[in-house]
Amino acid sequence: MSTLYLDRPSPVHRLNPITKLIGVVAIILLVFALPYWWAPLAILVLIVTPAALLARVGGRLLIVGGAILVPLLIVVAIGQGFFNAQGETVLFALGPFEFKLEGLLFAAAVGGRTAVLVTAAMLLLLTTHPGKLLAALTQNGMPPKMAYVISSTLQMLPTFRARADSILLAQRSRGLKTRGNPFRRFAVLVPLISPLVLGVFVDVDERSTAMEARAFGSTGKRTALEVVPDPLAEKIGRWIVILLAVGALVLGFAGFYPNLEWP
Amino acid sequence: MTDIGKPQDPHRLRNNIFIIAGTVVVVATYLYLIIAQPAVVDADFKLNGTAAVIPLVGYVLGALLIAAGAINRLPTTTVVLVPVAILINIVVGQITAALGLPLYLDSIGTILVGVVAGPAAGAVTGGLANVIWGLTLSPLALPFAIVAIVIGALAGWAARLGVFRTYWAPPLAGILTGIIAALASSPISAFIFGGATGGGTGAIVQAFQAFGNSLLASTTLQGLLSDPLDKLITFTIVMLILLALPTRFKQRFPFVRQYNVLPGMKKKSAAQDKAAA
Repeated sequence: MSTLYLDRPSPVHRLNPITKLIGVVAIILLVFALPYWWAPLAILVLIVTPAALLARVGGRLLIVGGAILVPLLIVVAIGQGFFNAQGETVLFALGPFEFKLEGLLFAAAVGGRTAVLVTAAMLLLLTTHPGKLLAALTQNGMPPKMAYVISSTLQMLPTFRARADSILLAQRSRGLKTRGNPFRRFAVLVPLISPLVLGVFVDVDERSTAMEARAFGSTGKRTALEVVPDPLAEKIGRWIVILLAVGALVLGFAGFYPNLEWP
Repeated sequence: MTDIGKPQDPHRLRNNIFIIAGTVVVVATYLYLIIAQPAVVDADFKLNGTAAVIPLVGYVLGALLIAAGAINRLPTTTVVLVPVAILINIVVGQITAALGLPLYLDSIGTILVGVVAGPAAGAVTGGLANVIWGLTLSPLALPFAIVAIVIGALAGWAARLGVFRTYWAPPLAGILTGIIAALASSPISAFIFGGATGGGTGAIVQAFQAFGNSLLASTTLQGLLSDPLDKLITFTIVMLILLALPTRFKQRFPFVRQYNVLPGMKKKSAAQDKAAA
């Protein structure tokens, strides 16, 4: 499978996937609930980083998270710093453009929230095998057909990529030019895509007959082959986390949080 | 192929309730964003956190409800088509990027399924494609699942109206779908992410802001710059693929047989429709 999952012996890996999922949702709600510029950073340092270290996936999280976040944060910091309409306090000037503190703070807030969202979700994906996540979700009411679609897509992805590569190579060996001006490159797409689509449509026919013969379309209640353990302590913990996150959110809506002065 | 197109579904009511509830949540969220236009930062420069929670929760919850309701309505022949369509989305998107084309072309599978299997199938494909993107590439794709659902459903409705029976209408339907997709996705980029959704598109959003546009206007303009052209080309490619499909495949889908949606097919008369039903 071409997912992010890393198999490590850690207490975070052993948690029930639902517990982790709810933890991620709670972290995301919390970062949006707290109306402070430093809130995303605090959550990154106090919650996400210790959890990543405990799960022994810190290095990997830094690499995959950084690949998404670094270009995004740079663009936002530059764009908002120079061009945010609410900017007043000039930090430095570059020719006719002035870099302003308010824009930088705005960038820190939206960038920080996005960073928490990405890293928290990645922590779940790095520490949870997709099969286990889907099994746990199905046991908690997700339609089995949805689990089928997600897991079979993940399983077929590597072979499908290989097939696309071989089509690309085969068409090239027949003299198809994949370089040149954009219009020529665009014209290349159709001879590449058609064989890909036709090929997979053939497989689909056989698969659906085989699956229907095994009662895939049955609407009855299903039992699980692999039951994901769900200890009572985790169930209680989940409820506490949910209540805390919703509480933080309600306080936010009520405007409870004091207006801390920026130093 | 045995016709298992319309199985008896004991949960039909429940599924429809899911779809309707999801749609209501999404529409309410959208209206809230467009009417209230909550700012990420308010006038006295105080951070407004809760405003972003509403679109985040509303869109993700709504998308999940719609996908869960719609997937249970699909027959097995269509369900097995969905993973394949998602793979086509991913792989063609990657080929496009590898060829260095300035387009996404990452919804060909979604639109193909919408056309041959109907709006519900298109919606499921779009929604779950974004879930897969979120699982494998970047979690930032998940809040945009509702946009993919809208695109897939629109492709299905366009096919049902007979757009793909002609050769000139699919590109136009593509432009229209692109405009709707841009309008649907811009509040998500603006209010949840503050325009911070990626390096390339982010830079364009910042450029529009530099010319004095609001954040929502900037993300909308960015979407309108890329989405209609992208969907115009996607719809055209899908039409070309449909033309290349052998007749045997075309006749296999109940939706195709029921509405005669594909190129060269004729609109059914009312009497034929009745006989088929």
